[in-house]
Amino acid sequence: MSARLTQRQRALQKFIEILVNLKGQMCGLGIPLVAAFENIGKENTGGVWSDIFMQCSSIMKERNINAGEAWKKALENNKNIYLDECDYEQLWDFGERLGKSDRLNQEKVLELEKEKLTIMEKKAREVAETRGKLYRSLGALTGAAVVILLI
Amino acid sequence: MERTKNNRCFEELFQLYLPERIRCAVANIQESYISDLEELRIRAGFPLMGVFSGYDCFITPDGRLTGDSSHALTVTLDELNNLFYSLCEHSVYAYQEDIKRGFITLRGGHRAGICGTVVYQGEEITGIRDISSVNIRLSRQLKGCADGLIDSIIRNKCDIYNTLILSPPRCGKTTLLRDIARHISQGSSNFRGLRTAVIDERSEIAANYKGIPQNDLGPRTDILNGCRKKDGIEIALRGMSPHVIIVDELGDQKDAEAIKMAWNAGVRIIATAHAFSLEDFKGRFGVGQLASQNGFERIILLGMNDGERWVRVMDANGNELDFLNQNDWLSHDFYRLHSNRTEVVSQADTEAACTSKIYRDTC
Repeated sequence: MSARLTQRQRALQKFIEILVNLKGQMCGLGIPLVAAFENIGKENTGGVWSDIFMQCSSIMKERNINAGEAWKKALENNKNIYLDECDYEQLWDFGERLGKSDRLNQEKVLELEKEKLTIMEKKAREVAETRGKLYRSLGALTGAAVVILLI
Repeated sequence: MERTKNNRCFEELFQLYLPERIRCAVANIQESYISDLEELRIRAGFPLMGVFSGYDCFITPDGRLTGDSSHALTVTLDELNNLFYSLCEHSVYAYQEDIKRGFITLRGGHRAGICGTVVYQGEEITGIRDISSVNIRLSRQLKGCADGLIDSIIRNKCDIYNTLILSPPRCGKTTLLRDIARHISQGSSNFRGLRTAVIDERSEIAANYKGIPQNDLGPRTDILNGCRKKDGIEIALRGMSPHVIIVDELGDQKDAEAIKMAWNAGVRIIATAHAFSLEDFKGRFGVGQLASQNGFERIILLGMNDGERWVRVMDANGNELDFLNQNDWLSHDFYRLHSNRTEVVSQADTEAACTSKIYRDTC
């Protein structure tokens, strides 16, 4: 349980880093989403998100569908990331807004998403610290109880 | 052979971009008509229309061509929006510069013109919203269409004349310019190819798609894509040391100054401009002086008269050069297109038809 909370926090943190990269590719270099997603997917720094971005790029390319739909499908295919349901909903909404407006607007979309995720990540960190400590203590107590019972 | 290849390219294009219903309708058009398809006009709430060798025909859901719009496939707003996003690769921001200019260059050198509500910020167009129509213009490079007049612009084995191509709109100036660029860059048995820089302000000449020219402009050609003529000429002179600079559609005083700058640097210029005659061009404010001061040494005038295409090559003083008579390199017959109603479209009176004619002749 404790590990799951930590992994969620790390996944969100990694996604914030990826957003900075995505912003550079989209708003700085004007790279279309298919290529930008592929670039992120290929980079080793994507962590758990690499596969999702890679898949999203492939889905967009093969089915000629918009980023929102492709992003949702890619996320659904990769439910193994320790995210809460509300995290997924937030990410789906984010995907829906990608690619549909000019650079200035896309920049705002990415900034807004970064702010939201930063808040979520902060909360996730707090939860991981408090509940993680609790779960670890409970684990230790349970272990001790089992040992006592065995003796 | 070339036609089949072109049709295959179009199939790929349609497959890649068109919404399903429109794709099916276009896929069902008889292959011989597809060869003559020049434009596909898609308007929200209106019938699907194709331009075949200069003539408008509506397209029914099963791919028949008709003059009756009530039988045609009516395009929905959703389909149009999907098409627009598809043309932008679902990344509007990546194409915003193109959209501002009103068109998107597609793979294969084709082009999609866009209409909608233009958004201004101050004096500058910042975008187009509420897209209402898309015009997909199919590009065909007519290799060899300049064969008959290339000798007239070659000065000697390693030099050419400054040349200006004049014609009314849609008479094939850019098509001709593209082939001249290819000839000059490639060279031939009696002419050494020259380093050529193409300033492709509207991505029409090379039709660059993601940095790769979709048209063959020869092995010695550098392309400055989407660059204003004035800036492009300066950049080319500074960095690429070309022998020849090629520009399309001279318009204002700044273009004229840039051309003079190139001449001062000893670079030859081949350019086009909209004009009905040399006198018409000479009267233009700004660029007109380029012809009147004997700057351009060869003037190529293109035109159409009752479906007959004519080409005149003149010297700087407007004297017709006797080694190239009109129409001797372009025997012309009327181009006929049988519509679904077996109506014979009689006389070709547009450039599109003349372009298609050259195409057939050269293939």
